[in-house]
Amino acid sequence: MDMALKRNPSSASLVDPRLEAVLLRHEIETFNVRYANALDEQRLADWTEMFTDDATYVILSRENHDRNMPVGLIYCEGKGMIRDRAFALSETAMFAPRYLRHIIGNLDLLGDERDGTIKARANYVVLQVLFDRPDATLHQIGVYYDAFRRENGVLKLADRRCVYDNLLVPNALCLPV
Amino acid sequence: MAWTRAASLNEVPEGKALGIEVDGIHIALYNLDGKIYATHGICTHALALLAEGWIEDGKVECPLHQGQFDIRTGKALCAPVTEDLRTYAVRVEGDDILIDPEQPAAETVFGSRPAAAAPAKDASRVVIVGAGQAAAAAIRAMRTAGFNGSIDLVGTEPHLPYERPPLSKEFLLGTAEFSSSVRLSETDAVQLGVRLHLGVAATAIDAAQRQITLANSEVLAYDALLLATGGTPRRLGIPGADLPGVHYLRTIEDAAAIGATLDRAHHVAVIGGGFIGLELASTAISRGVAVTLLEREREIMARIMPAAVGRAFRIMAERHGVDIRRDARVIEITRRGARLGVVTGEDTIEVDAVLVGIGMQPTFDLALQAGCTTTPAGIEVDAQGRTSVPGIWAAGDCALYHEPVAGRRLSLQSWQNAEEQGAAAGRSIAGHNTAVAQKHPWFWTDQFGRNVQMLGIVSAEDHVALAAADEAGPGAIYRMFDKATGRLAGVVAFSNPQAIRAARAELDSATPFDPDIHGAIISSKGQDGADAMEASVMNANPGLSLTKRYIWPADGLTRIPDWVYTDQAIYEREVEKIFHGRTWNYVALEAEVPNSGDFIRSNVGPTPVVVSRAEDGSIHVFENRCAHRAAEFCRELSGNAKEFVCPYHQWSYDLKGNLAGVPFRRGVGGKGGMPADFRNADHGLRRLKVTTHRGVVFASYCDDMEPLADYFTPEIMREFEATFDGRKLKVLGYYRHSLPGNWKLYHENLKDPYHATLLHTFLVTFGLLVAGNKSLMLADPSGRHGVMASAKSDGKAVSSDAKKEMRAYKEGMTLAEPRFMDFVDEFDSPWSVTMATIWPNLIVQREMNTLGVRQIVPTGPHEFIMKWTMFGFEGDTEEMTRHRLRQGNLMGPAGFLGLEDNEAIKFVQDGMQRVPNGEHLVKLDPAVEAGTADNLISEAAIRAMYKHWRAEMGL
Repeated sequence: MDMALKRNPSSASLVDPRLEAVLLRHEIETFNVRYANALDEQRLADWTEMFTDDATYVILSRENHDRNMPVGLIYCEGKGMIRDRAFALSETAMFAPRYLRHIIGNLDLLGDERDGTIKARANYVVLQVLFDRPDATLHQIGVYYDAFRRENGVLKLADRRCVYDNLLVPNALCLPV
Repeated sequence: MAWTRAASLNEVPEGKALGIEVDGIHIALYNLDGKIYATHGICTHALALLAEGWIEDGKVECPLHQGQFDIRTGKALCAPVTEDLRTYAVRVEGDDILIDPEQPAAETVFGSRPAAAAPAKDASRVVIVGAGQAAAAAIRAMRTAGFNGSIDLVGTEPHLPYERPPLSKEFLLGTAEFSSSVRLSETDAVQLGVRLHLGVAATAIDAAQRQITLANSEVLAYDALLLATGGTPRRLGIPGADLPGVHYLRTIEDAAAIGATLDRAHHVAVIGGGFIGLELASTAISRGVAVTLLEREREIMARIMPAAVGRAFRIMAERHGVDIRRDARVIEITRRGARLGVVTGEDTIEVDAVLVGIGMQPTFDLALQAGCTTTPAGIEVDAQGRTSVPGIWAAGDCALYHEPVAGRRLSLQSWQNAEEQGAAAGRSIAGHNTAVAQKHPWFWTDQFGRNVQMLGIVSAEDHVALAAADEAGPGAIYRMFDKATGRLAGVVAFSNPQAIRAARAELDSATPFDPDIHGAIISSKGQDGADAMEASVMNANPGLSLTKRYIWPADGLTRIPDWVYTDQAIYEREVEKIFHGRTWNYVALEAEVPNSGDFIRSNVGPTPVVVSRAEDGSIHVFENRCAHRAAEFCRELSGNAKEFVCPYHQWSYDLKGNLAGVPFRRGVGGKGGMPADFRNADHGLRRLKVTTHRGVVFASYCDDMEPLADYFTPEIMREFEATFDGRKLKVLGYYRHSLPGNWKLYHENLKDPYHATLLHTFLVTFGLLVAGNKSLMLADPSGRHGVMASAKSDGKAVSSDAKKEMRAYKEGMTLAEPRFMDFVDEFDSPWSVTMATIWPNLIVQREMNTLGVRQIVPTGPHEFIMKWTMFGFEGDTEEMTRHRLRQGNLMGPAGFLGLEDNEAIKFVQDGMQRVPNGEHLVKLDPAVEAGTADNLISEAAIRAMYKHWRAEMGL
């Protein structure tokens, strides 16, 4: 993208919708990388800050999603609940130590809403390593259905619905996806 | 006069007998020294043809039980026969034998009666306590010996003295009436001058004053007392030994109860492989009732005879279809719906009734009161029946044999012994103390169409010689030898009365054992072929290795061995005995299949099933396995269908699981296709029993499963109906997860209130649950179901003591959105949180307002799958639904509590797999051995569950 900027230094070219799209894609991809890093490094407070105050965050199975059933593994209405989830996981939850890798790809921008909300979807893979086995396991595979909004110019998630394909959760989902 | 030609003279050779029928009457003709006699052809004791008997010295000996009759007079000469034989007048004309069935022989005694006893002239008074066979024998002997004092006969049973051998045989088969077993009829009692005191017990004795007190306060003075009190059946000392349907046999009433049971039963268990047990087994088999016989020892009959002979009895029984389990521990008898479960060391045998024959306990309280010398086996007597106390005699089952046998004082408890001891005592009481030649102890048993007799006294340690073509076939003779002297101790013969006759002489002979005559020795204790053979048979029995391997810790319920959770064989047995056994398994909610044609996949244990609603609205559950080639044909999680079609060969099934269509069933062009007798009706899907309650669907592999209400018990039903309160359910979604632990650990986790505040620090940290909260850990009476319940209290109200007690309680830690923990009180229940564990695969979660059913689907000992179906109710507001969803953050595989439970259970399974042969400790709350606990610091409900589990598994 930097190279593209160099090739098109004029300000007029900045309103080129194709360039806007590239920049937005870059911005969201960067957001997703930071999101993944926050979770992989288990910085849950940082993760919390990536949501708007009125955000919803839900992880639900493909089975429920396809049947319009609302039950989620994690079901948060508002940043308060997202914060509570992060706080409780770091302060009280008991689970075996583990390493996680969130890999996010196939970002697809689905267009802007009139209120400035940006719809997007991306595939995600969560790999998990427990300390007693050599192999990483595919812990979850799914799709993010997202709505982004800017708060004070900063991109945040107003809605993230993580829809996972592997109906059977391997034992427990200890950290968000 | 109706002289009828009966036979030709040459048909009845000298010294022989011939059986014929004249006018429908069985008649035996005999030739004694050239003269022909005729008697009734059937023994007066049991159904045996006398023409097949043994003739000697003018007597015929019944082939069955060795009763003897005088051929000329018909007189009954010895035990067991007491009734004389009818005789008939005989005339010989040329070569023809003529008889007159209406006219007795000139010499007959039949129909004559002993003269009525003269009124008691001397003042001598005899009291007999116990109105059984020994008493009857004593009375006859006394009168025959000339005693003419008074006789008072006292009996607890309301009946005239009767013999007991038919109780386990003819009486149950309906081939004999009670009247034929009576040994002293009303008429006999009058003629023999006996005052009867029947249906009344003798309660006390004063040996110094020589008087007896009866239960009706009557006092009887005696000069001579005969104790013939018999005994009572030994009872099982295990839980459930007195449940209805568990029968013991001693009296005519016991036999009637067993007879009524056999009318209805399909399968009974017989406990005890002795004479009574085998006779009951034989009777049941011949009445078409399946029998499983459980013997504690390594071989049946092992405590009374050598294993090689016991083995012959066993083979005979097994050939007739008796399922004999040896080395069988019976641990408990449990109710299984309308049936009974016999819990053994190996499994639980489900039967309609249990017949117990494990021996007899002699009754001798009066003898003890009187100061007679006794041993635990009975009252000591001499050859005349005298006890150690002057004026007191004893006879029959309550008395010991008069001399030690192989160094031991024992009670013979046989028909013959009652007869002979009774008679000996009677003669002695009448003043005749001259010794009568002792007969060898003799037993008989009729079973599986064979008459087996034993003469002499044998012990398990004897050598055994076998002379037979078939070790358990007719004619087989087993001779037992004393190892030290080489002398014959006893003979057992299978349907071979001649061998028993001959054995009398053999037993009297001093000639030591001769293998040329008696056959090779096949068994002596410890080192014999039979033993080696047994060993290989038993090693081939997988049940035995199971018993040997899976030993429950001696501590009982407070320890659970790891193999309960880790062993493949145990797991497979759980599928068979529990999930596919007598249980109601949750399969679905009716709300998931609301319309005709709706279906959903489910499981019963690991087995995939389909739950479907048919056109008529009924719900059906059948295996998801094509009847043709086993394909799991239904692949969608749920849906709507008109029929089910297996994709492999297009076999189709209707919504009830019936086979509807088979492509090319009649072949093509007249070739191929199914056999002509193929019927669709025989090849439907395997269908399960179904029941529903308040919108919840259960299925069972058990065809005669009890109603759900009985299965639940009222306590569990109350809680179930508090959650399923009649409102229509609305499914909100599913969680599914695998869990790398044994499925029972999930039940245990919810029967373990101890962990709630210790593992789930979330609850305590935010002041939501402390150990002081009102709570209950309920277990149903069977132990399999449970409800963990608590009532929410305000966090602010938590006392400082309670806070201290809970290590994780942290002041100042608060939630940003605590409303998700609000409780909307919508249930008629004192509890805000309940977790009902409904055996074997259902958990009903009512965690305040987040509601769900959790279905356990085991996949092996180390893993199960959990399917959670979360629901609310039709008519919930949008906000109420969202409240349920928000509160759902507590549960499921990512729930604040749920993820911790799953992790903890995995840790437990990990811990077991890496340390072999360990045990779990479940000792909390010793005040409750197993069952309901009123506090959180208890494992009593886990213990209750394992009590049940062990019974089901037979471990």
